[in-house]
Formats: sequence, C-alpha cells, structure tokens
Amino acid sequence: MSLAFLLRAALRESRGSRGKLMFFAACLAVGVAAVVAVSGLTLGVERGIRAQARQLLAADIVVSAYRDLPASLESVITKVPGSRSTRVREMVTVASVRGEGDAPGKSQLVELKAVEEGYPFHGELKLDPSRPLMTLLDPQSAVAGPDVLTRLGVSVGGRIFIGSAEYTITGIVKAEPDRIAGAFSLGPRIFVSQEGLDRAGIVQFGSRVLRKLLIKLPGMPSAQEAERAVQVVRSLTGDSTAYKIESSSDAQPALRQGLSRVDRFLSLVALLSLIVGGAGVAQTVRAWLATRLDSLAILKCLGMRPREVLALYLVQIVLLGLFASLIGALAGSGILLLVPHVLRDVLPDGWISPFAAAAWGKGLALGTVVSLFFSLPPLLEALRVPPARVLRRDVEPLPGGRAVTLLAGLAVLSSLYFVSLVQARSVSHAFFFTLGILAAAGILAAMSALLVRTIGKAPRGKLPLWLRHGLTGVARPGSGTMASLVALGLGILVVVAMALVERHLTVELRSSLPKDAPTAFLIDIQPDQWSGVKRLLEEEGAGRVDSVPMIMARLSAIDGKPVEEIAREKASGGDSENRLWALTREQRLTYADALPPDNKVVEGKLWSLPGRPELSVEEKFAKKTLGIRAGAVLEFDIQGVPVTFTVSSLRSVDWRTFGINFFWVAEPGTLDAAPQSRLAAARIEEEKEPIVQDRLARQFPNVTMIRTREVLSRIAGILEKLGVAVQFLGFFSVAAGLILLGGAVSAGSVRKAREMAVLKVLGMTRPGVSGVLASEYALTGLVAGVIGTAGGTLLAWAVVTQGFEMAWKPSYAVLTLAPLVTIVLTSIAGLAASLRAIRVRPLEALRTE
Amino acid sequence: MKGQPLQAPSFSLELRNVSRSLPSGRAQLSILSDISLGIRSGQFAAILGPSGSGKSTLLGLMAGLDRPSSGQILIDGEPIEALEEDALALLRRKKIGFVFQSFQLLPNLTAKENVLFPLELLGLEGAEDRADGLLAAVGLGQRGHHYPVQLSGGEQQRVALARAFAPEPSILLADEPTGNLDSATGEAVLNLLTRLWKESRATLVLVTHDQELAVRAERRIHLRDGRIHLDEGNA
Repeated sequence: MSLAFLLRAALRESRGSRGKLMFFAACLAVGVAAVVAVSGLTLGVERGIRAQARQLLAADIVVSAYRDLPASLESVITKVPGSRSTRVREMVTVASVRGEGDAPGKSQLVELKAVEEGYPFHGELKLDPSRPLMTLLDPQSAVAGPDVLTRLGVSVGGRIFIGSAEYTITGIVKAEPDRIAGAFSLGPRIFVSQEGLDRAGIVQFGSRVLRKLLIKLPGMPSAQEAERAVQVVRSLTGDSTAYKIESSSDAQPALRQGLSRVDRFLSLVALLSLIVGGAGVAQTVRAWLATRLDSLAILKCLGMRPREVLALYLVQIVLLGLFASLIGALAGSGILLLVPHVLRDVLPDGWISPFAAAAWGKGLALGTVVSLFFSLPPLLEALRVPPARVLRRDVEPLPGGRAVTLLAGLAVLSSLYFVSLVQARSVSHAFFFTLGILAAAGILAAMSALLVRTIGKAPRGKLPLWLRHGLTGVARPGSGTMASLVALGLGILVVVAMALVERHLTVELRSSLPKDAPTAFLIDIQPDQWSGVKRLLEEEGAGRVDSVPMIMARLSAIDGKPVEEIAREKASGGDSENRLWALTREQRLTYADALPPDNKVVEGKLWSLPGRPELSVEEKFAKKTLGIRAGAVLEFDIQGVPVTFTVSSLRSVDWRTFGINFFWVAEPGTLDAAPQSRLAAARIEEEKEPIVQDRLARQFPNVTMIRTREVLSRIAGILEKLGVAVQFLGFFSVAAGLILLGGAVSAGSVRKAREMAVLKVLGMTRPGVSGVLASEYALTGLVAGVIGTAGGTLLAWAVVTQGFEMAWKPSYAVLTLAPLVTIVLTSIAGLAASLRAIRVRPLEALRTE
Repeated sequence: MKGQPLQAPSFSLELRNVSRSLPSGRAQLSILSDISLGIRSGQFAAILGPSGSGKSTLLGLMAGLDRPSSGQILIDGEPIEALEEDALALLRRKKIGFVFQSFQLLPNLTAKENVLFPLELLGLEGAEDRADGLLAAVGLGQRGHHYPVQLSGGEQQRVALARAFAPEPSILLADEPTGNLDSATGEAVLNLLTRLWKESRATLVLVTHDQELAVRAERRIHLRDGRIHLDEGNA
C-alpha cells in the first residue's frame, strides 16, 4: 500500500466524519491553546525575570575579586562572539567638602564606583540631568547620590574632595540597576571615571578595591547559553576560586525561592491542562470510531490488513491533530496578544512575544503527540471489530483484547511521561506527575464503577419517570458513563486543584512581605555609639529597633582541613561557583545568648558544650553549602587571630520575616573581645527617614543607613507581578478545563439520539426526553463533581503542604461550589449538545445509524 | 456425501469437517456441524436454507471472515483456518469478492471510489479505466461521483457488484444480494450478477433463502440446522 494511496484513502475516509472530527479539533485546540499561551507566558515571564536579574547585575555575567583580574579575561569578547565587556572598580572611601575657614569640612563614607563606556549593560541608570553617564563624567567630575549632596551640603556644580583630588559634581544618581545586587551598601554612591579614580591617588598597595568585569552576551541568551559563557569565563580565570563569577541566573536567594515556586507551579498548570485535552481527544475519537465500525469491517473485508487500517486512521488522526494544534497555537498566540493589554499594569512591556517559536513548537508537538497516543486505546479497540460484522451485527470482537489494551495503556503511559518530561524538564517531576495522573484516573475509575453499580442496584420504583430513566442512563452497562465520569472527574480535579494551589500561592506571595518588616538597616555602628544611635532612633519614633554585634571573619578550616583545599576539591567535583564563594568569602558572625523568635534549633542543642567555644549555624547553609553537621570543628581567622569553634547546633531561619539574621551565631563570651561593629534594624516612617539620616550624619558620620523600602518595593513589585501572572494562568487553565469538560459531555451525548428516538416512539414528549437527559447529565456531573473535587483537594493539599511547604487552609467555598457548578455545567453542556437529538424526528434518528 | 474423500486441487473452495459453535451462556451453541464440501473452480453454487440454518456463518467461514471451531477450510488447495488476520486480509484482497444483502459500500466514498478501492489496494495499473468500465457495465456510468446515500438500493447493489468484480477475484461470495431489494430490482441485479459471473468465470457462491433465485445456480446446497441436508447438481 503506497503512502499516496494511504493519504488519499485517509482524506476520503474522513469526509463524512469531518463534522464529528471538528469537535476533536476543538478539544485539542483548546488544550494546545492553553499549552501555547502558558508556554508563551512562562517563556515571557522567565525571560522578563531573567532580564530583571540581568538588571540586578547590570550585565549577563560579572567576574569580581578584591585583586587584579587576570588580563586573559579581556579575551572573553573574542571567545564569546558578539559579547562586550566593561571594567568597574568599587571601593569604600571618604568624600568631603572644604570647610569654612580652617574648620574641617563635612565628610562622608561613600561607595565609590569607577566606570567606563558600556556601564550599565542592562537596566536603567536614572540620572539628573537625564543624560548618558559617560557624557557627565570626565577625569575632573563626579556624579553622586542625593544622600551625598544632602550630607555634604553641596549641589550640582559644587565641588568635593576624594583622596587628594577635587571633583565637580555634574549630576545626581537617582537609581542604579545593580544597587541592590550586593548585601548591604556601606555608604551612598559616587560615580567617577576610571581616570578620575586614578587621579584620586587612593588605589595603593593593600587598598581594598573590588575589581569587576561586566560581560554582556549577545541578544537574550538562554540559561544554557549563559552557562556556556560562564564556563568560558571560568576557564579564563584559570578555574581559580579567588574570582567570583555571577550570572543572571543567580538572583537574590529570596527572589530565587519565589521564582522556583512559581516556575514549578507554571509547569504543573501547563501539564494538567494538557491532560484534560487528551481526555477530550480520547472521548471524541471513541465516539467517532463508534460510528465507523461498519466501515472498518468493510475495509477489512475488502482485504485491508489490520495494520493498514490502523495506518489509515492514524494518518487521519495525525493530520487532524496537527491541524487542531495549529488552530490551538494560533488561538494561544491570540491570547498572548491580548495579555499585555489586559495586564498592562503588571506585565512590563515587551515581556511577552505572542509568536514565540518555542511555544509554538511545544504546542504543535505536544498536541500531535497527545492526539496520536490518546487516540490509540479507542482506535486499537475499534480495530478489533471483526470483518464478519459485514454479515452479522452481533459477532464478537476479535481476540487479543487484553494484549491490545495493555499495549494501548503503555502507549498512553509513555506519551504521558514524555509530555510531562517536556513540560516539567525534570525526570522526577515527570515521573511523579505521571504517577499522580494514573493514580487519579485509577481512583476515579474505581469510584465511578462503585457509584455506577450502586446506582444500578438502588431501588428506584417510586421516583419520577424522568429521574428513573436518568438513573438508568447512568447505570446501564455499556452506557459509556465510566469513561465520561473519569474524563469529567479528571477535568474537575485539575480545575479544583489548580484553583486551590493558585489561591494558596497567591496568598503566600502577598503575605510573604510582613507588614512590620524593618525599613532601615544601620551599619558600621561602633559599639560605644549604639546607645546614642538607639536614643536617636527612638526620638524619631522608630519601631522594632533591633541591634546585634557583627564580627567580620574568614573561615580558614573545617575539621582541620584548610578551606582553600576544600574549595579546590569541590570545584573539581563540579560544585557551583556560588557554593565555593560561600566558603572563601568574608563571613559575618554575631553572638547572642538566645536566638531570635524566627530561629529554631533543628539539630544539637544551643550552648551545650561547657568549656568549648560554640557556634550555631543556619541549617541549609551548613548542610548544603558547607556540608557540615553538629559536631563539626571550624576554625576562623578574625582579623589575624585564629579562633576555633565547635558547631553545637544547627537552626532553621524564617528569612521571610526580613529581621536581622545571620548564618553564624557564636556563643556569648567567645567573641566579645573581637573587633566588631553593630548592625541595627528599625522600622521608620517614610517621611522621618531623611530626618533620621541627617541627624545620624551629623552625630555619627561613620554610620550608614540603608533604606530598605526601595529594596522591599522592588522585590514586592516583582512578586506582585508574578502573583498576577499566576492568577491569570490559573484562570485561563480553569476556563480551558471547563470548555473541555463541556466537550467531553458533548462527545458522549451523540449516541443519545437513538435512545431518545425510542423513548419518543414510545410516547415520551420532548420536555420529558429533555428531563431524562438533564437528570442523567446532572447525575453524571454530581458524581464527577464530588469525586473530582475530592481528588483535586487532595492533590492541592499534597502540592501545597509537601511541594511548597506552606500551611493548608481549607476552602469550603470551593468544596461546595465545584460540584454544584459541575452539575449545572454538565447539564447545560449535555443538553446543548443534545439539542439536535431532542429536536430530530424519531424516525429520522432510527433510520440513521 | 458427508465425509466423502475429495480431490483437493480440483476445488476452488473446500471445507473438511467444519464445525462452528458459539458460546451461549455456559453452553456452546452449535451453528454448523461437520460440514464437508468442495466447490469446483468456476462453479455457481447456491447455499439454501431457512433463517438460522447457518448460511451466512458458512459464507463467513469460506471468506476467512470467521474461524471454524474445528475442521479445515481450503482455498485453491491452501488451508486458511490457521492464517493470521493479515494473511487472511491479503487472501481476500487477491482472491475473494463480496456482495452483501445490505450492500456495505463505504459511505464516505463516491460510487467510483468504492469501485476503485480494491484496485488501489492491489496497486493495479489502469484502475481508473477499469472502474469506469465496470460502472458503465452495471449501467451507472454517469453516477460515479455520487455517494451511496444518493443512490437507490438497486443502484447501490450494482456499485457493490462492480466493486466485487473489479479486482477479478477467483471466488465471489454473495450473501442474499437481493434481500433488501424489490423483486424487479432484485431480478435485474441477479441478471447482472450472473452475467458478470459468466464473463469472469469466477467461482460464485450465493447464499439465499429464496428457492427461485437458486434455480439459476448449477448446484444447490441445502442447509438445515447447521448440516448439509441436500446437495443438488454436484456433478
């Protein structure tokens, strides 16, 4: 049999079925539209977030070290075609103004940043006047943050001293893209040119200068492209752990945690909506093939081999699947076109590209795969039609049912796993998702069977006629109730689970920013200044004033093994740069008698080893980054003095409180004598912040205040945007699920026409017939609604409490509304799909087969 | 005649001790028991019997549409009862043509496409011309583009005849071909069938309960309760 004949025959064979198959197309198209829209949105949001992450770095990759960067690093621009680089030097120094007469002028600790052409590669540097930074900078000029001007009492055009050189202020920095990329800033910002910094004469041997190379990759690099570039950069640094390499995929840990939650949820949403489409496809194909049994028998009778018949129908299904997927992809793009208008306030411009090739590719591939594999069970079953059917209707199907069923089941299973893998991009997620769907379908089928049997056995003698027939319709053997119950139940399960998970996630995202979080951090407070600073804060009405001592130290050995050696070993073992950096960077320690309320000891016991200096370490940092447990012996270098600690406890920290928290907390008494400063946090009213700042500058010029409202509002803004995106996706998939529910009912209702014709022949009126149908669909809706809601709630509970580690809050509204809405929807969808069957004259219905 | 030894090669179609029973509850319901017969190549045999005598089951077995519970079925001397579905399909494609009481045209295909189908399946050259010729021969030269629903019963059966004879099968099996037609149309269809049979020299097996139709056959095999009751004209 030639391919040309197969295609020709498939097109001919599909002629009379196209009307029926349009429904298959609609079912699949809705699913694919969901996949494409979700995928497009996910891609867009991912890309947008990555773009934001790039803003936080002002580049795609940043290499930094408190030493000269290797000269070889400059060759990165030739090794990664299309990339660009720019140098940045940062140091903390003092800026001052000329005093009146002989009196010393005001001075201020500042973070000096020397830049050159290219900075920043990503993100916006807001300046006043609004001009490119490099047009404002020459070796004699500087651009400063407003805090510098306030504190030094100068304005644009005024002059300041840095080191031995004098500079003219030519502009004000209002916002810097990479300002919150570091932990805390030590002072307000001043920008100078590279030549300007050299002129100051402050970069000398031993100066603590952070040297950075900012690298911009061409276009919008994918995570893989960025990773490849990072590998190139790493090899250029000679794989030394002395250089910190950051890429745009590493954002702030809190943000990353939020993002990975959202990412997981989005994958889940897309996956689930796809399965509902598959259920709809299977249902429609089953209904379609039920009308093709005679043709199948004739084809076999005319000498078509079973495999040729299979090919004939597979070709039809694949062509249709592809066509439907195309329509779906178009619809998905249509939705994506609307997204920026609908979400104008929350989605930044240019995040969404409606015709993203990746989204289309995914939609078309998944749509076709799902249509093909989900059609296999009904198709293989239909293929068992015996050719002898041409002689007699009641011949039994061909043998081999069990093997065929098994084969079809395996096909669906493998396709389910495949699409899960494509969507989740994780073997374990795909595995558990597939398992979950199977378990859900199995439980739904078992419960449906139980319910159908119960209905079949229940006495219904005294019930009204319409209800009696409705019950019979559900319970009758071979009524197809089971299949539609499972499909419907699965759809409702998806909708309910999604609504619940989405609700929890949104609430979580919203409430993860505590109302009483500190608005300002004060750093570099000398211990003898603290009482004065505290009094000042209290006088200005600051609340939740908190302060802890802070000691800077370097970790030198773990259990006697030098950290440099551990870092080298870990680097060759493929550990991430971040984790290595965490070992070799400067550590911040505090000491306290008791832990703050958001800390909980999870291993060992706090201050329980008499006679030995003890340390309590944050659990995840200890286990994942350092690979230590309670009992480990750590050696620190505190400003040249070695100090040995025993880790006596690990503790969990709820970082979401935004309170002052440290990875390292030492036993009181062990570090009291170490050189230290204090770190303070307080909640200050927004309008009081400048006053506090002025007073601090006057009384305690070395204390720097960091206003966290800006940081918080940026993080809150991102989380809020994500929350709305998740909500939108949730609503979209709920809608898609509902349409597919209606579709499944309609597909199953086709076969009703003949049954109703018989009822009409027996004298039942149209309203009577409608009542029978409505009661049957309502009952189906009730069963599917109850089972689906129960399953969906269970799934959501598991996802929320186990997957996202959040507290579960039951929603009684969803529990009651979902079954009710299902009943209404199934009744409406069922009746709407049966309108023709209700209207048609009985004789017509009985004649047509 | 039962159990009479037969010379295999001379038969186009041969059944040896064929029985067919179906499960009916826990018991087995016997449809055909111990049927042995041989039909010579080119012979026109009619299988007669009242409703439920097993005529259609016998025809289904001869066509490889159904499998016997026991016994052997040979087509051109080759046993077919143990063949796989695939091999049976190829056998039907190459050797067997069908005409049914309910026509069994593919509803989504036009009249001409129905006739073309077995030819295309065989990948024969000049299929279009042969289909046109056959449609003209059955008097439907102008109706090739019509779909089955647009044709009368007699016309549908004539298309079915054209389709059955199109691939030049060596055996043609007809199951009550006039059963759904009025007597005048039935007569015309039967005339056409016998004419085409004579032209093709295929072995023709006709199943009917109508004695008058059977008169035209060279041989008449009477079935009763699943057994051969009488075999007339078996020369």
